[in-house]
Amino acid sequence: MRGLPHEAGGRALRRGRAFDLPGIGTIYAPNITPDSETGIGRYTDAQFDSAVRRGVGPGWRHLYPVMPYASYVKMTEEDVRAIRAYLMSLRPVHAPAPANQVRFPYNIRVAMIGWNLLYRPSGPLPDDPGRTAAWNRGRYLVEAAGHCGECHTPRTMLQALSMTKSYAGAMIDGWLAYNISSDVDSGIGAWSDTQLAAYLSTGHADGRGTAVGPMADVVSHSLRFLTPEDVAAMVTYLRSLPARRSDETIGVVSPETLAQLAPIHSNGERLFAGACTGCHLTDGHGRQVDFAALWGARSLGETDGRNLVRTMVEGGTLQTAHGAMVMPAFGPEYRNQDLADIANYAISHFGNREGHVTARDVAAARGGVSP
Amino acid sequence: MLTLQVNGTAHQVDVPDDMPLLWVLRDVLGLPGTKFGCGIGQCGACTVHVDGKAVRACSLPVSLVGRRPVTTIEGLAEDEVAAEVTKAWLEIDVVQCGYCQPGQIMAAIALLKGNLHPSDDEIDQAMSGNICRCGTYRRIRAAIRNVAGAV
Repeated sequence: MRGLPHEAGGRALRRGRAFDLPGIGTIYAPNITPDSETGIGRYTDAQFDSAVRRGVGPGWRHLYPVMPYASYVKMTEEDVRAIRAYLMSLRPVHAPAPANQVRFPYNIRVAMIGWNLLYRPSGPLPDDPGRTAAWNRGRYLVEAAGHCGECHTPRTMLQALSMTKSYAGAMIDGWLAYNISSDVDSGIGAWSDTQLAAYLSTGHADGRGTAVGPMADVVSHSLRFLTPEDVAAMVTYLRSLPARRSDETIGVVSPETLAQLAPIHSNGERLFAGACTGCHLTDGHGRQVDFAALWGARSLGETDGRNLVRTMVEGGTLQTAHGAMVMPAFGPEYRNQDLADIANYAISHFGNREGHVTARDVAAARGGVSP
Repeated sequence: MLTLQVNGTAHQVDVPDDMPLLWVLRDVLGLPGTKFGCGIGQCGACTVHVDGKAVRACSLPVSLVGRRPVTTIEGLAEDEVAAEVTKAWLEIDVVQCGYCQPGQIMAAIALLKGNLHPSDDEIDQAMSGNICRCGTYRRIRAAIRNVAGAV
């Protein structure tokens, strides 16, 4: 899921976040409050359903698949109607969406007719009678409503989700959406059911780290409100995804091992002790809260530190049942090389790998450009 | 309503779940010995002990404390390690302005309770997250070494 496209946080769904699509342009998620001019106030149930599940708005306006209608088409008509009923109960806000900036030939919206013929599934997935009710419910939540594959599955040249690499992980907005297939080395095959359920419902699992970036938004605004039964159903289905091996393998170093590591007296270690140990203890535990526990975190096993550097530069917020858990952003008081040193220390200490983060990577993350 | 064990006493507090422990200690329980510094776990001025471990009270939602005992600088009057640390602090006159010192002392006591004879590396590791704008770091380290030598 791409964070929260219509901003259901403080500014309540009125104006969209921007999606930067390399080589294509910038697309803005529109107002979906009940405002009659700039929102969905005048949509009928049929028009709303068509936009959400067919990707065709009123006046035969073809939506771009940034709106994940290719996943939502698998939702039931009743659920989409229920979503509209909820949205119509919100306070209308008058706020036109900024104009999309889309390059040729992607700016030809009718081209989406052809894309839809090729890639949009025809409708809801019928329940598989050979599987349990929990598996079928989990499939519905993962494939349709949750649209997990929209970020976690790599895209083909034509921006369709790859069938052969389903859930094998993909880059999106400069973040690596991890491999969530059942592969033991590079997916979630080694996670326990308890860890998966904890991660989905709270954003943190002991020994697996804490959600940051777009996934923190997904947990903050969506997944943590699921019932325990639905979370368990998602776990059941995710477990059944075919294993897809990818380059990013997972390594877990236990707190017992971390506590025994001798100091290495590097610049990164020294800076980590001053700037990070207020919350992240070097034995991998969180000082105040478990949400700050770093042992087993995937971002610290990635040797190029993409997600780690983004998190250091942008900070992060995860909404929880105990309030917001906040990681402050590193500001200009730290040089690019300092942040690279901290990242490489953290990767070597917590991930037992040699980090390859450079000052250039940090500069690119600070500039908001992909390196 | 939450029950909080602070300095050996159970307190009933009627506060929001996400209120930081520091706010509860200072504004609800009237224990101002623990100081507010940065509010984001970066400076260590608000260090207290939760279950014997040094934590930053500004970044700990009170609802996550649970039944673990909380000790603030006010709760150490009878503590032997605390008495040694206080003595060592006074002997070489560690303090300058003093604002960060409750946090420094709480961090030092937590270190010494887990490890009575810490190496310089271990002292640096444990104390690095506690900032002192007067720059009393060398005297803090010396005082901790003196305690380690004395016991």
